[in-house]
Formats: sequence, C-alpha cells, structure tokens
Amino acid sequence: MKRLKTDVVVIGGGTTGIGVLRDCAMRGYKTILLDRADLAQGTSGRFHGLLHSGGRYVVTDPESGRECAAENAIIGRIQPEAVERTGGLFVVTPKDDPAFGDKFLAGAAKAAMPVEEIATSAALAREPRLNPGIKRAFLVEDGTVDGWQIAWSAAESAKQYGGQALPYHKVTQVHHLNGAVTGVTATDLKRGETVEIDCSFILNCAGPWAGQVTEMAGLPPVSVIPGRGIMIAMNHRLVNTVINRCIPPADGDIIVPLHTVCIIGTTDHPVTDPDHLQVPANEVQQMFDSGEELLPGFRSARALHTWAGARPLIKDDRVATSDTRHMSRGMAVIDHSTRDGVSGMLTIGGGKLTTYRLMAEHIVDAMEDQLGSHHPCRTADEICPGNQAGHNYLITHRLKDREADRLESPIICECELMNRQMALDLFKSNPLASFDDLRRQLRLGMGPCQGGFCSARLAGLACQEQVMDAGRATGLLKLFLEHRWIGLWPILHGAGVRQAALDAWMLQGTLDVAHIPSPARVEPDPISDAPIDETWQSSGQKENQ
Amino acid sequence: MTDTIVVGAGLAGLAAAIRLAQGGHKVSLLTFGLGGLPLGQGSIDLLGYTHPAGSSHPTADDQAVADPWAALPGFIAAHPGHPYALLGTDTIKASLAWLAELLPDWLLPSDGVNHLVPTALGAMRPTLLIQPTMSWPSDAKSVAVIGFQQLKDFFPELMAKNLTQTAQVSAKGYLLDLPARDQEVDSSALRYANAADHPDFVSRLAAMIKATIEPADLIVLPAMLGLASLDPWRSLESTLGTRIVEAHLAPPSVPGLRLNQALTRLAQASGVRLIIGSKVIGYEGEGDCLRGVTLHQAGRDQFYGADQFVYAGGSFESGSLTVDSHGLVHESLFHLPLVGLGGDRPLIDGDYWSDQAIFKVGVATNAQLAPINPDGQIVWSNLRVVGGLLPAAVRWTEKSGDGIAVSSAFAAATDLLNQTSPKKDN
Amino acid sequence: MFEAASYESNLLARASLDSCVKCTICETQCPVMAVTPLFSGPKYVGPQAERYRSGLTVDHSLDYCSSCGTCSLVCPQGVEIAELNSVARAAMKKGHTPLRDQLVSRTSLLGQMMKPVAPLANAVLANRPSRWLIEKTIGIHRNAAMPTAQRHSFSDWWRHHRPSKAPTRGKVVYFHGCAGQYFEVETSIKTVEVLEFIGYEVVCPDQGCCGLPLQSNGLFDTARKYVRRLAEQLNVEVEVPIIASASSCVTMLKHEAHDIMGVDDPTVLQAGQRIREVSEFLLSLADAGTLPGDLAPIHQTVAYHAPCQLKGQGMGKPALALLSLIPQLTVIDAEATCCGIAGTYGVKKEKYAIGQAVGRELFEAVERINPQLAVCDTETCRWQIAAATGATVVHPISLLHQAWGLDQD
Repeated sequence: MKRLKTDVVVIGGGTTGIGVLRDCAMRGYKTILLDRADLAQGTSGRFHGLLHSGGRYVVTDPESGRECAAENAIIGRIQPEAVERTGGLFVVTPKDDPAFGDKFLAGAAKAAMPVEEIATSAALAREPRLNPGIKRAFLVEDGTVDGWQIAWSAAESAKQYGGQALPYHKVTQVHHLNGAVTGVTATDLKRGETVEIDCSFILNCAGPWAGQVTEMAGLPPVSVIPGRGIMIAMNHRLVNTVINRCIPPADGDIIVPLHTVCIIGTTDHPVTDPDHLQVPANEVQQMFDSGEELLPGFRSARALHTWAGARPLIKDDRVATSDTRHMSRGMAVIDHSTRDGVSGMLTIGGGKLTTYRLMAEHIVDAMEDQLGSHHPCRTADEICPGNQAGHNYLITHRLKDREADRLESPIICECELMNRQMALDLFKSNPLASFDDLRRQLRLGMGPCQGGFCSARLAGLACQEQVMDAGRATGLLKLFLEHRWIGLWPILHGAGVRQAALDAWMLQGTLDVAHIPSPARVEPDPISDAPIDETWQSSGQKENQ
Repeated sequence: MTDTIVVGAGLAGLAAAIRLAQGGHKVSLLTFGLGGLPLGQGSIDLLGYTHPAGSSHPTADDQAVADPWAALPGFIAAHPGHPYALLGTDTIKASLAWLAELLPDWLLPSDGVNHLVPTALGAMRPTLLIQPTMSWPSDAKSVAVIGFQQLKDFFPELMAKNLTQTAQVSAKGYLLDLPARDQEVDSSALRYANAADHPDFVSRLAAMIKATIEPADLIVLPAMLGLASLDPWRSLESTLGTRIVEAHLAPPSVPGLRLNQALTRLAQASGVRLIIGSKVIGYEGEGDCLRGVTLHQAGRDQFYGADQFVYAGGSFESGSLTVDSHGLVHESLFHLPLVGLGGDRPLIDGDYWSDQAIFKVGVATNAQLAPINPDGQIVWSNLRVVGGLLPAAVRWTEKSGDGIAVSSAFAAATDLLNQTSPKKDN
Repeated sequence: MFEAASYESNLLARASLDSCVKCTICETQCPVMAVTPLFSGPKYVGPQAERYRSGLTVDHSLDYCSSCGTCSLVCPQGVEIAELNSVARAAMKKGHTPLRDQLVSRTSLLGQMMKPVAPLANAVLANRPSRWLIEKTIGIHRNAAMPTAQRHSFSDWWRHHRPSKAPTRGKVVYFHGCAGQYFEVETSIKTVEVLEFIGYEVVCPDQGCCGLPLQSNGLFDTARKYVRRLAEQLNVEVEVPIIASASSCVTMLKHEAHDIMGVDDPTVLQAGQRIREVSEFLLSLADAGTLPGDLAPIHQTVAYHAPCQLKGQGMGKPALALLSLIPQLTVIDAEATCCGIAGTYGVKKEKYAIGQAVGRELFEAVERINPQLAVCDTETCRWQIAAATGATVVHPISLLHQAWGLDQD
C-alpha cells in the first residue's frame, strides 16, 4: 500500500479534469488527478474533434456560442499544436430551410462570432465534394482539435507546477468525516497496488461517471444523463473544412476533418450506463444518409472506424430527460456542502471540449470561494509546454517529418506514419503503456489497415527492446486486435471488408496469431477491475476510438 | 481450339489457366492486378486446424491437424457445404499431386502429413506442401532465430520466446545489423531476397552469423533466402553446416512471390495470353451460355468472347465479393447467387476471434462448380467458379485456402477439358 | 477569410486511395524501389502520402518516381497510384520547373531544332566534351541515350508518298507522334506501308505533340493544351480507328490525359476511344482471321520488351502474340518491368544511374538472347536499350514489314 498526501484530488482524467489539475496546480494547490483508465480515454477522446467557433449554438444557445468563440481563441493561443485552423462552413442543403441562415447570421452577430456568407460557387470551389445543390453557405472560424493532445499538453503544464496525473488509478472509496472530505482510496490498476490519498478537497470531474463518484461518497445521487453519440471516421479527408449543416442541432449535422480522416457525427440518445455504449446499425445508416446529403458519394467512400461517446450532461429539470440535446451544454457546478452537507467536494458536469479550460476555471473558482482564498486564474495566459513555437497543426506535418527521417528510423505504422523512434520514446517515458495507450498519443493503428500490419511490428519491437516479455507482447497484440475490431465490425462494408479480410489472412492465416499461447490477462480492465460494486462487473465498451 | 477465359490470377486462376492450356485450350487470363500469391505464406495449405465441436473460436485449444488426409473425411462429414465436400478427397489428392509435380523446384513432394512452419510471431503453423526451405527438423532441440535490424516484420526475440512454448525447443533470438543495401533502414523481405540473390551478400551473412551466434541445431531466418532460386539458402546451409528454416512473415511474401513467378512463367510458356490491368466489368450470354466478358481497358471497353469461362476472382479481400453500405453482399462481376446469407447468426459480430459468418458467404455451385440459383438450376453452364468465391470455408482459420484454390481449379479445368476434347475445334 | 484551393488535384484518383489495403503488391513490382532506397515506393508516395496532402507536397522524394505506371497496373484493388503521384508532383513543381525539364518535355521542339542541322546535332550529341557541358549546364546526363536527328522528317516523306496499291478495306488515320515525325521516321514509314499493304487507305493529318513528356514532368497546363490540340487535329474520319506506332503517346490519349490531368473534353475522350496501338490493331485482325497470312520466315531469336506505357493500357502484350505469327521467329519476353528511361526520367543527371540500374535486367536479357537485335514498341525505350547494349532495337512493325517482304520495295 502507498500513502500520499495532497491538497486536492481531481477525479476524472478527461480534458476537464486535466484542465482542473492544471488550474489548481497553477494556483498553488498540491493536486493529484486520478482516472481509472488512460487520460482522455472517455468522452474527451470520443468526440468528433471540432473546435467550436460557436456557430453550432448561436441560434439555440447563444451563451454557449459566446463561450465557444472566446475559448476557441484561447486554446488556439495556449495549445496551438493541437489545433488545426481548418475553417468551417455552415451550408444549407436542398432539404433545409434557407431562412435558418438569417437566424444564424443574427445569432452570430449577437454572439460577436465572425461569420461571412459566401457564394455557393465559392464554397464548392473550396470544397469540391460538397453537394452542388447547396442553397447558402457561411464561413466561420471552426477548427479541429486532438482531444488527447489537449489532455497531454495540459497535463505536462500541470506537471511543471507540481500537479500529478495518475492514470489507471481507480478510485474505490471516497472518505469524509464529520461533514468534511478527508481523502480517497484508489487502486493502481497497472501495478495492482492500493493507494491511500489524504486530501482536503475533491473535485469530481468524472463527466458521465460523475454520478458513480458521488454514489461512492455516499451522497444523494447527482443525476447525470449520459447522451450517447456515435461518430464514424472516414478513411481520408473528403473535405478540408469543417462542414456543418445550417439547421438547428440534429443528428449527423457535421463532418470534421481531423488528422488524416474526417469524422461524421453524431447522434444523441440518453443512456443509463456510459460503460456500455452501442453503435446501433440504424444510427450508422443515419450517418451515411446524412453524409450523403452533405457530400454526395459519401456512402461509397470508405468508412474506417466508429465509436460512441457519452456526453456528460447534467440533468436540467426544465426539459424532459429523454431529450438530452436540449439540456444545457453549459457547465453546472454542484456544491456538495450546500447540497449534501459535505464540505470539500464539488462536482462539475456539462460543457464541451472547446470550453474545458473555462469549466476548470469555474470549478476551481468555486473551490476557492469555499476555501475563502483567491488566486488569479492564469490558464488562459500561459502557453502549454510543447506549444511555444505557436504553430498550428497541419495535415502535412507527419509526412514532412518522415521525409526528413525515413532513412534513419523505420516506419512501424505506415498508415499514420509513426516510426520506431517515436514508439521507443513513448515506451521509455511509460514502460507500462499498452498498445492502446500508445495509440492515443501516437496514432498507431488508426489508419486504413487498423493495426493489420503495425500491431505485430510493435509487439516484436517491444519484446526486442525488452520493454516487455514475449507473453505480454503477444497478449497486448491480441488485445489490440480485439479492441480495434470493436470499432470496425458495426460499419464493415466496402473497402473495409477487403482490409478486414486481408488483415485476417495475415494475422490469423499467415502469422497464426490465434495459436500462440499468452497470459489470459495482460492489462487491467478499468471497468471490471477492483470493483466497488457488483454492477460494475462486466465489460463492453473497452476501447473504441 | 476452344477459347477459354480465366478471370483472376491468384493460385486458382493460374492453376486453372495452366491446366487448360496444357490440355490444348487457347486460354486468355484476365486479371485486374496481380493475384494474391505474393501475400500468402508460400506453402500449400490443405487443412491445418479444426475447432473443438461447438466452438467457433480459433483458440489456443484448437488442435492442429497432423494428418490432413485422415482428418478430411470427418471434416467433410461435418461441413457438408464446404468446397472439400463438393470436390471429394480423390480430386483434392490428385490436384495437390499435380501441383507439386508442376513446381518441382519449389515444392517438396508431399509425405502426406502436415508440416509445422514457424511464423514471425513464433507460432508453428500447419501446412501440407512446403518449399524446401521450410522443413523443420523434428530432432532440433536448440534454435537460433536470426533477424535483421532493418527488417521490421520479423521479430527474433518475440519469436524465440514463443517458440520455446509452441515448438518445445530452446531458442535464442539475434538481431543482425546487416542492411539489404547501403543506407536502407527499412527493407522488406523482398529487398533482402534481392540482395541474397547475389552470393556476396550470402557470404557476408554467413560470416556475421558465424561471428554472432552460439551453436544451435537449427537456424531460423525470415523467408528471404533468394527469389530467383533457392541457391542462397543451399549455399548458406552448406557454409554454416547447420540446417536453416525460413519462417513466414507478413507480405510481401518471398515464398509467395516465388510461386507466383513460377506459375506465371508456366502459364506463359503454356501459351496462356495474360492480360493484366483491366477490370472485367460486364458479360454477355444467351440462355445458360455465357458468350463473353467486357474488359474496361484504357480508352474503351473491349469485348472478349470465349466458349468457356473460369471465374477465379477471389473472395472479399479482392472485391469479387462485396458488402455495400447497406450491408448487402454481392458477387460483383456476374451477380451470381450467393449462399451463406441466411442463418441464425449475424453476418458480422463483435467478437474478433469468432469465425465471422460473412466470410463463409460464397457463390452457390453444383458439384461441377457451375453456378446455380436457389432452385438448383444452372445459371451459366459454361462457367466454373473456383477458389475464394466458393462458400462455407473460413480459409485463414482452417488453413484451407490453397487446397480449395488448387483442387477447385483442377476439378474445373479437368471437367472443361473433358467436355470439349472429343468435340469441335474452332 | 480563407482562400479557395488553387492547386493540382484529381478527385477521382484521390478517391481511389480508399481502396488501398496496404498489401505491398505495388512495392514488389516497382522498378525504381527495387534499385534505390531513395525512393520510398509507390504505396508510400501514393495512397499513403495522399492522406496527408491538401495541395501541398512536402515529400519531395516522390520525384524519384519514374511515372512508369507499373504500380497502377499491378494493383489488385484499383488504386490509381501512379496517377496520384503524378498529380502530387505537378502540385510540387508548379511554378518552379527547371529549364532542363521544360526542354526535354518538348520533343517536337527538339526535333525541329535538330533537323536542319542533323549531322551537326548528332555530332554534338556524340561528342564527350559537349555532352559534359550539357550535363553541367542543363543537367542531361552525359551518357544518356539521345535520339538521332534525321535529315528528313516523316512529313517530308509523306508529302511525296503514293500508295503502291489501291485500298481494299477502308481508311485508317495514322498518328506518328513527335518522335515518329523527327527521329523514328523509319518506323513511321514502315507502319504506313504495312497498313497499306494489308489494304487500308492511310489518312495522316498534320499533328503535334500529345503532351506526355510535359505531363510526366509535372507541366500539366501546357500538357493539357497540347493534348487538346492533338485531339482536334486527329478529329478527322471519325468513323475509323486511329492507328499509332508511338505506344506511349497512345497511353496519353487513351487514359492519362483524363486519369491524371482530369481532361474530359469530348474530343480527347473520343480520340482515346478510337486510337489503337498498331500491334493491338493488327492482333485484333489476326484474331478475327483477316490478316494476310503469307509471312516469310525470319530465322532469328530476339528479346522483346513491352514498354511500361503499353502495359499500362491493360491489354496484355499484343506484339508477343502478333510476332508469333512469323514463322521461325522466336520472340522471348524479356520479362523486365522497365527499361529505366521512363520517357525523360533516365536522361536526367540525378536519375541516370537509377535508370541504368532499373534497365540492367533488361539489358542483360537482350545481351543473353540476341545482342544484335531486340524488339520494343516505344522509341525512348528503344534508344535506352540500344545505348546500353549496342543492339539494334526495332519496333515490332519492322519485323512484320520484313516478313511481308516490304523491305525490298
């Protein structure tokens, strides 16, 4: 058992939690963040990658729109490397009401959001695959953002101020005594060790899982209604600009070019269990239909991977719980001292990745209010490590990097151009990394072959370089293939089937991976390990972006 | 002469074309691109694994088939829709013997049992007909697994450790710093094979091995010891005085390229007219008689008429069978009726290790391999469907793909030759 | 706020990258990758790198691609690999194409310049110091194969030409190409004579360059102009086929103008539908049983090389089957992927060594099979093989011309 002492414990390692860790640390609080899985493995890694201009909300939720526009600029300043300035288009398709465009312009003006109506011919010249029948087009400052990079560079920043992020640490108990928080008990899942942490404040940033944390503390339930949305990544960028449908928020209303792919999203269905998110066939068809509306021929383009994310929506009594889209996307901070008589604990819900920093600022402000101390929030002013050069992401970056070093280091993942050195550097900083941990930071296995060629190479490399033994390498390889499949099978058609068949020929046929013995368990399962409650004991949603 | 068109240049297409041409037919082999041989393991599988009853999962519990001929009758009985059930043991046996005779330089005559060939991950993979370089000596106790720093698809340490379990040997991995050519850090096995075709590379390799490894009964190298011939392998064995086995690795497969090269040359030498690079996009026929196919050539579409046809387009991996975005399965060229679509399981499910039902979908045929509709009526009487298009087999888990390709091609070609030999010559 | 795309792009070729399953088949057949690690290979620069491009080409090593098109030919999945690469190269070179590439891309210009001073031009090109100077100043390798300038062009001959017999089976339009006009005049004449011998009336309109060398050097705008103008020039006697002895130029009209440069003018597409490589045309007559059969034996064994551009037309190797009709002639397919010239690639000083390495297998096959005589359909390949082996390298039509006894005329 290990014992740690800190001022603040942050539960939940999504972008909100990491933003909170950073903010607390920068304000001088000794802070530890715990997540049962990897950083940004939940909702923050399961969205479509849009950095909102605010355009999506200027009509229905102007306050959100305004926040988005402001935070968009801030993230672009403090974490530019994670951001691509793609620009965005709101287009009125032949099926949509052109009059909504006027509301859109009016809303944008009110939210002080830059927007410009352009000729449809100009929109088509810019994005030749767009539906030639579009009736209006508006240019906005949408960008795209890599949630994992946001998370890791904010965590690096926090680290410089002493903030400590502990992924794969599952909180099993929340302690409070005489109406005040005293600490948490957690299990270090990778090392199988219990960790006791004494603290005086707990910030619950578990998003869709926030209710489970308050339950663990024995507090009356915070009603979180996770809104499940599916996303489908297409094999290459069909567009280089974010394409929004100029209608009130609806299913399949956006296509986001992110890294080498473009992602269509999304749907919205209330679910009870954010650990078991399905990708229903009818919603897949709905995405294809929507894609076809925006980009004719969408159905014959290659669908690469699908996943579902859970929105961390806090229940708002003004709307029915079955209609999650109309709940406030704005943030809500719940103070458990006024609500439940336990001081030293706050829960935050709602929000979106674009406003993660602002959410953090709000909850840390609320904490300081309770503590009666006030430090200025500086998270908007300080550039995160690795971002000092101020360069935005460009689609060509990796190709350019490999052009420079491909005669020095072999390329392990050819689709996503990840070389041997990148993998070794990551294993060096995190020897316990699973292949999925590595994937989230380096994009291994996220391209067309979906791990078909690269996963065995990584296993071979990891074993050769004595990062792990053969049993673990073989086991992680199998696990990686299982996990990739979760996001493949619901959308398998067209070229994806050819790839799946070739991958099976290679891995199962030629290399015969199925018949190599390996340990039954090489990685902890954050969902079912160290259960505090029988209902957690199952596995379903493991990995799936 | 009888005009015959073979569509597809994988193992099945090449085998059918060669047999038909050698039987006197005027054969045109139409293929969109290269066939799949360079992607396979370069040995000839017949039947490698059977699942325990009731299991649809290839697991570590599966039993490798030691004697496929002994296992085949039981397998056929348990899999009535399987191509092997359609073809029968005698035909299968004759076809594999025929292939081995066709490629005496590249395939060892079968001793009737499966060989276990190591893979880059350290499995011992069962297969029937092996290249001379793939013969694992049963008395080997200590093994040196040797890879190259510059060959990312071969993993000596991982393989050695896994072989200690799968092959019950003591094994040690070595990684040599020997680029296939100067300045290259990222070479395929093919580049190494190209290098090995030059004796000086083999000498350098031999010297490096001598200087590096501890004595072992057996040396395992990635399959790269020569593309033009197996002389590099022979010379390395004799220089080192140690048995050498080539292990399977991911594509490009040098053993697969050897077979592809040999069979393509045989086809051309047999008079097969090889037309590569254009896709068959249509067909014409009357009644149940196919008259020809349309090839989408550069500039224009070109009709190729013939008397008989063999369709060896492969399966899902080559796009002969497709799934559209609505989840519907099609045979993409002749729109032939499919079997395997019904059933109580969904075509695709979320268990990576299960035998996905989709991959058992294939073209319905009669015993002569002519396509039939659900009523059992022949769709095209002068068309034969062979290889990956046939249903009811999951080739990569059964390790049956090559056997199905060769035996169905052999049976179809034999049947077509028999039909035409006594008859007209146009 | 944002600018519209203004770079070379080809949506169709780009869409085909979705079909890539990374299988490596293109890499096994790429002739450049086989001889140098400097080229990252067709899969890499094609479908792989294309996912990282949005009009900007940052991977300059793609210029090692020779544009032979073998990758697209062998791809079992239909990825337009070479096409993707050509477009990326054009995007890269837009606005800064070296003078050398501008010059070697203009075969007609070279021919016109050299013709009046043919002996002098040939002497200069055979002279070591002057070649050294050319290499230093404009970057054409000193040992690169160069065409031999002729005193008379094909048009000079055609103006005075009268058919020796009356036509019996209608007309064909003849397309000679730039090299056939200025350098390979003999091949053009023999093609016309063969066509007339088997009964056709040959129509030969004035014609310019197809733009292929410009295209392969990334100069799309000019190449588009050239191919459109040529298609207009060939737009005569629209009911009959256009027959060509310049197999590479055939490729340009048949598909590259459209598949690489996105030209979809009806005139160009129609010319592409009508045009036949002469062996392709004669073989279709042979298959239909309408080719004169009285071919005299040729007691020779020769190596045959099918040029990449011809193979890229997806019709096999018609010359092989056609030449098999000549008694006693043994034609052996050299089975080489590429001769290494790839249009103008192998003459450039930085690519010359690669081109020679690419062609080595072929050169060895020619030397083994018959060091005196070899057969090949494309003129630049013939120059390359001849320069490397010293063999006389002829178009297949030459052997038919001989077998039909037309050489004596």
